[in-house]
Amino acid sequence: MKDLLERYRSLGIKVKKFNIKKSIRITNKIKVSNLINRLKNKGILLKKIGFLDKGFYVTKSRFSLASTPEYLLGYFFIQEAASQLPAEILEPEGIVLDMCASPGGKTIQLAEKAKVVIALENQHNRIKPLLNNLERVSVKNCIVYNIDARKFEFKVDKILLDAPCSGNFIMDNKWFKRQTVENFEKNSELQKELISAAIGNLKKGGELVYSTCSLEPEENEFVIDYALKNFDIDVVKIKCPGDNAFTRIFGKKLDKRIRYCKRLLPHKTKTQGFFIAKLRKND
Amino acid sequence: MIKKFTKKFGNVELFYTKINNSYYLVNKDLIKLSKKIKYKPESIGLFLGKEENGRFTPSLALLEILSKKSKDKIYVKDIGEIDFLYGKDLRERHIIKIEGEIKDGFLKFVQNEYDENLGLGKIKIKNGKIKIRNKIDRGDFLRRER
Repeated sequence: MKDLLERYRSLGIKVKKFNIKKSIRITNKIKVSNLINRLKNKGILLKKIGFLDKGFYVTKSRFSLASTPEYLLGYFFIQEAASQLPAEILEPEGIVLDMCASPGGKTIQLAEKAKVVIALENQHNRIKPLLNNLERVSVKNCIVYNIDARKFEFKVDKILLDAPCSGNFIMDNKWFKRQTVENFEKNSELQKELISAAIGNLKKGGELVYSTCSLEPEENEFVIDYALKNFDIDVVKIKCPGDNAFTRIFGKKLDKRIRYCKRLLPHKTKTQGFFIAKLRKND
Repeated sequence: MIKKFTKKFGNVELFYTKINNSYYLVNKDLIKLSKKIKYKPESIGLFLGKEENGRFTPSLALLEILSKKSKDKIYVKDIGEIDFLYGKDLRERHIIKIEGEIKDGFLKFVQNEYDENLGLGKIKIKNGKIKIRNKIDRGDFLRRER
């Protein structure tokens, strides 16, 4: 734990635990102003999140949001603010592949703008929550496969790879006790395999958003550096809160284009920790 | 089997496909695309319901679609809405109005004051009093995951 705290100091991350604000994303099933008024009448107050399209902080709520009729009718998804960014940054259109889809918050976001979303989920026990959420929000343009995303083969226009990762201390009270550098390295190998499969499935000129809720360079910058070294891709500049990603870290010099990727540091963005990169496959 | 169910609520044409014992609302683009992909999907389009032991169970999404075109509806007050979503039956005090024929055993879409579908109920008449038995409700989305 001590080692990780020292590591975080060197990464410029302030380890200060705080409760992040509860946030939701309003779906296409209802007009935003209608839902705001309906919830207001029930004593639930929302405040628009500046950097998101349809994301709102819940500033006051007397009861569980998930038990409201509006939630059950599919009018909103309870989704942390930073985790709403990847799907927005992808700017979905055409055929979109969501490589690690469950529980479906991002899949629903993608489906609102894409022609079709192909949603993959490797873990069988995570399929049910995904299907429940798609049904609740009445998503009609999604095909779901229970498959390891590394084995899936089909060319698409855009891809969201919100990769499995070690998470972050904001969302997990025991994070520092649970995690080790060996874990980060192990995750990194899986993430490199996933990003390789993603690029393989991307049409030329197609775009990919890679994201994690980890702050570890092994799971973020190193994965993007690996992709830039091994595939004909480029980094796309993105507009979102956060610091520029590292191009020099732990004595390693990385591809300079990685500075266009963003790392969301909890003490600055008041969100959970997050990393987002947008890549384009060259023609 | 799905046709037999939807027929009860009028002439609603649905373009659907079947995977195992489940029905899905699809369009031609989805079908065309799925044929190009070499794997078997878990689901495609919108889940409409499934057959089990020779019976069809509608999905909540199907009820929502059918309720928009049906005249067989029961509108409930706020208090009735919450009770119904908790899986409870409805009593006369919960009801704003009933549309369509009122007969014992009839199925009715249960709607809130905004005409949004909360589920499906069955009319029960006993000693001249009406009770709506909860057949299925959207609170199921929470109960399924427990």
